[in-house]
This record gives sequence, structure tokens and C-alpha cells, in this order.
Amino acid sequence: MDKEQAWSDWIKERDDPGTAHTKPEALDDITVLDLSYKSFAGCYCSSMLAEFGAEVLRIEPPEGDFIRTCTPYGMLYKGEGLNYLTEGRNKLHITLDLEKPEGREIVKSLASKADVLIETYRPGVMDGWGIGYEQLKKINPKLIFASITGYGQFGPMSRSRMPDYDNIAQARSGIQSGTGEVMPEGKSYDECPWAVPTKAGPWIGWAQPGTFMAVGIMAALYWRWTTGEGQALDVATAEAYARFDDFAALWYEGAGVAAERFGSLDTAAWLYCFAPTRDGAVFLGGLRLEMWQAFADMVGKWDEWGAADWTNLTVFTEKEQQLKWAPLVFAETRKYTNEELVNMSIEYARKGRLAPITPVVAPVCSPEEAMKDANWFDRGIFTPVKDPVYGELIVAQAQHKMSETPVRTKWVCRPVGYDNAPVYQKYMGFGPSKLKKLKGAGII
Amino acid sequence: MAEKTWGNYKEKKRSRPLPLKGIRVLEVCTLILGPSGPGFLAMMGAEVIKCEIPPMGDTCRDMTPFGYLFKGCGPVFTHNNPNKYWLGLDLHKPEAKKVFLELAANSDIIEENLRPGVMESWNVGYRQIKEVNPGIIYLAKNGFGQWGKYAAENRPSNDGASQGFSGYAWMSSFPGQPPLKSRIYPCDDYGGLMGEMAVLAALHYRKRTGKGQYIELSQSENIMRTMSWVWPYQQITGKTAMPAGNRDVSICPADTFYCADGAFVAIAAPAPEEFGGLCKAMGRPGLAKEPRFKDHLTRLKEDNAAEILKIIADWARTRTAEEIEEMAEKHGFAASRVYTVKDVTEDGHFQERGFITAVDDPLLGQYRSYEFPVMMSKTPPKVKWSVRAVGFDNEYVMAHHLGKSEEEIKQLYQCGALGKWADVPGRRPPDGWDGKAGLNVAEDGKEKEQR
Repeated sequence: MDKEQAWSDWIKERDDPGTAHTKPEALDDITVLDLSYKSFAGCYCSSMLAEFGAEVLRIEPPEGDFIRTCTPYGMLYKGEGLNYLTEGRNKLHITLDLEKPEGREIVKSLASKADVLIETYRPGVMDGWGIGYEQLKKINPKLIFASITGYGQFGPMSRSRMPDYDNIAQARSGIQSGTGEVMPEGKSYDECPWAVPTKAGPWIGWAQPGTFMAVGIMAALYWRWTTGEGQALDVATAEAYARFDDFAALWYEGAGVAAERFGSLDTAAWLYCFAPTRDGAVFLGGLRLEMWQAFADMVGKWDEWGAADWTNLTVFTEKEQQLKWAPLVFAETRKYTNEELVNMSIEYARKGRLAPITPVVAPVCSPEEAMKDANWFDRGIFTPVKDPVYGELIVAQAQHKMSETPVRTKWVCRPVGYDNAPVYQKYMGFGPSKLKKLKGAGII
Repeated sequence: MAEKTWGNYKEKKRSRPLPLKGIRVLEVCTLILGPSGPGFLAMMGAEVIKCEIPPMGDTCRDMTPFGYLFKGCGPVFTHNNPNKYWLGLDLHKPEAKKVFLELAANSDIIEENLRPGVMESWNVGYRQIKEVNPGIIYLAKNGFGQWGKYAAENRPSNDGASQGFSGYAWMSSFPGQPPLKSRIYPCDDYGGLMGEMAVLAALHYRKRTGKGQYIELSQSENIMRTMSWVWPYQQITGKTAMPAGNRDVSICPADTFYCADGAFVAIAAPAPEEFGGLCKAMGRPGLAKEPRFKDHLTRLKEDNAAEILKIIADWARTRTAEEIEEMAEKHGFAASRVYTVKDVTEDGHFQERGFITAVDDPLLGQYRSYEFPVMMSKTPPKVKWSVRAVGFDNEYVMAHHLGKSEEEIKQLYQCGALGKWADVPGRRPPDGWDGKAGLNVAEDGKEKEQR
């Protein structure tokens, strides 16, 4: 064992994303068809597989997927929407019109050679086209058929006509209702339209269900090793996101309480909040009694607050206690800048009365500050991708560091139908003249 | 067709196999980022042995909404730790390290969420474990990873720190208001989920090649991935991405609206047929043809978006949330009341799908919980049993997995390597436990199912 080398150096040598291109890929034996439409959840799901090396054929209608137009403020970069630009990564982009019988025949043929199919049409649409799970499994019993929709494949709401969007999933999950500022006493919605149930800004109601499905696909692939059988998988986006509601279901089940908004304090924890500072805000965390005591000590309130006599953290979690202590804590944090408070906590870990115990203090950053933070850059998150079509582009990547089969972003995106020629040649044996004919007939 | 694939899914769940049966996981995890991932694997049938330092165990046992314990257990803890086996093992003790390495030799996956180098300093780090089990898949999760500036400073982290560090909270607020912390722990939960993506990909690779590997992740780096357009936008424009409250700046219209009955409803209608349907529902079909709203990209432009959202907001004030949901169904756009947790739990659809699932646990009794949210037609994942006191399964794990004799187990208790719960709430078994219910018994080396 090469123990003489420090752990951090030893592991960095083996999992630095900068060396990813020299290593094998975990899923390069897997072929995926991604038929998702109007759904970032589907795109995100296939990105997960593509990053680990799967060959993903991204199948769009000839005019392209509507999701490409879902871009902030209608902004395009080199003709592409900014969201799609981040999750077209590593996928081969082909076109195919599923409304046409010839298009469906081609899908059947592709499905006979694929391991996984991802789709996001309303339940019943694929069946109606003759390319649903029961139909395709006759052609390929090993196929894993993954559907992501708003309400899932069965149950009364599965027959709903309503499409699936991130903000709908967030609203339906029960999470948005309990997140947000508390309405100040005596104020109304019109005076404080920001004191309302508040959703997360990022498309977590799509990214997270897509990730759940990717995990489900991996489990189904594992089961296939032993049995040789494929199966159908079903994710409803609102359910998937609701699963992240860590305490609310049991609180309601046991006490009949539906979690309400509590601003940037935390219903289930103390010390655990955003606190205002001279130049912004910090997060404060102290989930063990000693860490809360360390915070009191760090801001010079050990004696005044009687921190030495505290014996139980749970009492501080109670609502009245939180509302009593939060203003006292904020009065202290307002005296300092973010940087001063962060440094105080690092210093406390070295020299404080309770060292190495120290409260968690982290700056609440804008994403611009995050992108300029050398820590993340050095760890490969914001390494620009040199894309042959879109040039050098920054997308978040390399979130898994792996010693043997690291993830990698080989390209960020491709225009509609960019890979038609090589893909149809490889999978269908279609040469240029056949492709031209199909294109003329509006099939690809 | 759906009937053929999914008919009686809830009932069939009981008799069907689980997809990860036969996979063994050792976890040395606390709070949420750590245990949630192995919890997902456990719901899919992996055998997860959770190692806690006795007698207090996982700090998450203390996380209680306003001090509320659910049947004597912390609800956050209960939510994230289903289907596990409970080992009280003090890794500070040399005898415990030996036990851990014996277990590691027979495991497929190890997961921990300690600060960098801690497992190594206890002599049970990746470099030590791969000597006894070269095929091991080892996942380390924490705030900043194993190397880099913040890792070197040995900074502690929490979900809330990641919401701050990543810009996620910034993007999840109203313009002009301070950044807002989510009520849930999105960075922890999402990091936990992403960890299993890598673990299962590594397992696939091991099936192909026999090779194990080391995986590390940071919760901040993972949540950044979900922020999509923010990064290229900042690179291309040189501007900071700004929050927009409940409005989705990439989809128009998509926002949350205040209704006549004081409820809130989320609406989305960006595609042509959806937007047309919404305009019809509002009694203004002509809007869909106006140049400023004619196609999605045009509608998304700041001024146009503000105008259409104002029109919808004024209309929504005159309708109840329920009326708007009905119109959405009729006209083919998307709308949902902002559900409370009560709405989710009582929702007939979620119940019929078994997402709201009935747990019948020998210690905690009967209760409703949220199921694993990927339905699998042949191998349905499920919550089988609930959380246990610190060290609850010590005897079972020692005898069944390692073949230890009663005498050997006694010695492990005597030297403090093994331990059980402290007699405090959230650590000990729920009141009224008869000393037997829920215990696993190893008989003749054969596993006996959880009673």
C-alpha cells in the first residue's frame, strides 16, 4: 500500500476529471433511444446515461423538439436555446416523424437493437402508434422501456390531457407550498406578493425525476444481467420530486400538521438558517449542540447567552424558540461581512474553546460568484467544453469524480438531425440516396 | 395496454422480486446526503448495513419539525432510512475496524459522508479496503469532495451551505428579496440520488470487467448541474443570472397565480396548442394570434412575457383554483393547485398508484409513507420496514454475516467495538417495544425474512 502519499494527493491523481479522456466508460456497451418530447426530464435522463458512455440516439421530429425553444428570455446562442444546449451532451441527434407509419417502422427496427427506450408522451400515445411497451417487447424482450410523465402510466389522473412542466410538478409535490417567506403580520398578497408559496428557480421538477429514472434504468439493467428480461418503468414527475420532502409526510401522518412556510429558518433543525450580514447573507449550520454553542462563542455571546448551560438542542428547534433566537443571532451576523464570518468559523475550528468543532458558515452566493469561485473551477465543474458546433462553452459537468470510469462531457449539443447520416447508416444501413428519399417524404 | 403492464401493480408488489437483490452495501453515513442514497438502494432490494457510532448514532435522529418525533423517531431520519440493517459499531476501536474490514471483504458497495481522509485515518479508507476487496465500489459524499481548496481547509458543510454556495437559493427567490432557503434539503437529497447513479454505473462496469472503483462527489457540485442555462448564460452575456420568483423565464407562460378563493395555482401553456387553449379558457382566443404572443420565442421576451403574465394573473383572480384546473383539463394546458402535504397524502391518484404506500412495521406500526418513485413493472421497489434503534441488528449481522459465536460477540461488546442505543428519544426503540418484535434471527446460516 502506497501509504506514504497524502490521501488527497493520491486520490486526486486518480479521479481528477482532467484525466477522464484517458479512461474507459462504464456504459459504452449500452444503446439508448431517447424519444422524449417537450420534456427536459427525458433529456436530462438520457444525459445521465450518455455521460457514463452510453450511445444515446436522440430522436426528434423533423422540425426539432419544442423543448429547444424553452430558453431564458427567448435567448438563442448559435441558433440554440440555452437549456437544451446544456443537456444535448454526448448524444447523437437524429430526426424521425412518428406520426407516419414509416417512421414507426424505423423506431421498431431501432428498438430491436436497443437496450433502453426513454419516452415522455402522454400515456397511450406510444401504444396508439403501435410502439408501446407491450408491442416493442414482442420485438425485443430485453428492452427497458422508460416513461416519464406528469401523472404516470396508471391511476385516474394518467388519463389527463394536461402536459407535464417543471413548475406544475413543483406545485403538485407539496414542497412549493411550504417554501417561501411568511406573510408579515397585517399585510396582504397585494402588498407582499413575494410572501407566497415559492418554487425552486432551477428545473428541479424535471432534472430530479429524470435522474430518478436514470437510477431506475440502471437497476433494471442490473436485474437484466441475471434474468435476461427487460421491463417497463414509470416515473411521474410530481411523485418523484415529492419523495425529496424529507419530513412533511410523516409529520402530517403522525400529527396532522401540514408544513407551512418558515422563511429561511428551518422547520426541522436549529441552528440551520440563512442570516443577514453586512454585505449579503450566510448560511449558518449547527446540527449538534456543540456547534450551536461554538457559534455563540464565536460571536462572543458564550456567557451572555448562557451557552455553557445548554444541554439539549431539540428545544431550540421548537417554533417559539426559533422565533426568539433568530433575531438575536441576526443582530450578531449583521455586524460582519460574509467573508469575515466564514473566516471566523475557520479560525474557530483551529483555536476556539470547542475546536475543532465549529459552526458551518457559508456565503449565500450569486451564481456568478459561484462560477468565479476557483474551488469549483479547479475541480473541473466549469471547464469549458470545446464543442465542434458551438465553440467553447461552459456547462456544469464532472459532478462525479471516479477513479476508473469517470463521466465526461464530449460535446454539449447538436443541431436537429445533425447525426442522421452516420446513425441511419450504422443502424439501418440507409445510404445517402435512401436518406434523401426519406427526407423528401418528410419521414426524417 | 397500460392495464396489461400496470394492472394491480400495488397488489403484485408484494410477491415480485426486487431488482438489486444480492447486492450488499455498507454505509457509514449521517444526516441526509449520506443515508438517502443507500436508502434508495435498500428500497430496490439491496441489503444495506448501516453502521452508526453507538450509543447516539446518526445526528439525523435529532431532526424533528418543531421538536416532533414520529412514533418515537425523527421523521427526516425515518424517511431516509427504510429497509436497513442496524449495526452499532465504534470505528474508533481497533476491534471494530477489524469487524468493518471483515464486512467490507464481503460487500459490493461502501458509502460514507465523512470529511475527507477521516475513514483513512481510522484505517478503513479506500486504500485499506481495496486490499481486502479489490472489486469494492466506494462512494464518498460531502460538501467539497476529497481535494481542492475547501476540502483542504476541512470545512464542514450542510445542505443549506450548498444552497448558498451554488447559487441555487439565489435563483429560487423573488427579485429584490433576499435569497430564500428551500424547506426541503435539495442538495443533500439530490447528491444522494446522483451518488447512486454513479454507483450503479460502476456496478455495471464491474459486471463487465470485475473492476471496482472509487467515487467522490460534492453536494454543491451536484446541485449546480440542475441549474442548466445559468452557466452558459453567464458566460455568453457576462451578466449574473437573476431570480424571477415563481415565474419560469424559460417557459412562457409558466407561473404561479393567486386565485379568487385565496388558493394558488401553477399554470403552464407554452406550446402552440396549449397557449391557444389557455387563451380560449380566458375567453380571449384572439390573444394567441397577436404578434407579441404569436410564438414561444417571441412570447418569452421580457416585455411580452410580463404582459401575458399580467393578463393571466388578472384573470386568475376571478376564478377559483379548482375552476382553473377544470379548464386546463378541458382545453389541454397544464394547471395544478399548489398542493400541501395533506393534498398529496390524501390524493386518490397518488394512493391508487401506491406512491402513498401503507407501511406495516413491527415496531412503528401502521402508517402511510411516500414510496420509491420509480415504478418497475417486474421488480417494484418498496418500503418494507422502518428505522431501528442504534445497534438493533448487531447480533444478527455478527452471527449471520460473519459467523461470530456468542462468546466473540460478547467480547466485542466488552471492548466497546459493538454497542447499542442510548436511552434517549430517537435513539432507543419506540415505547412499548416487547424486546423481540422486528429482530432478525439467523438460523443455520440461512437468512430469515424480516418479521
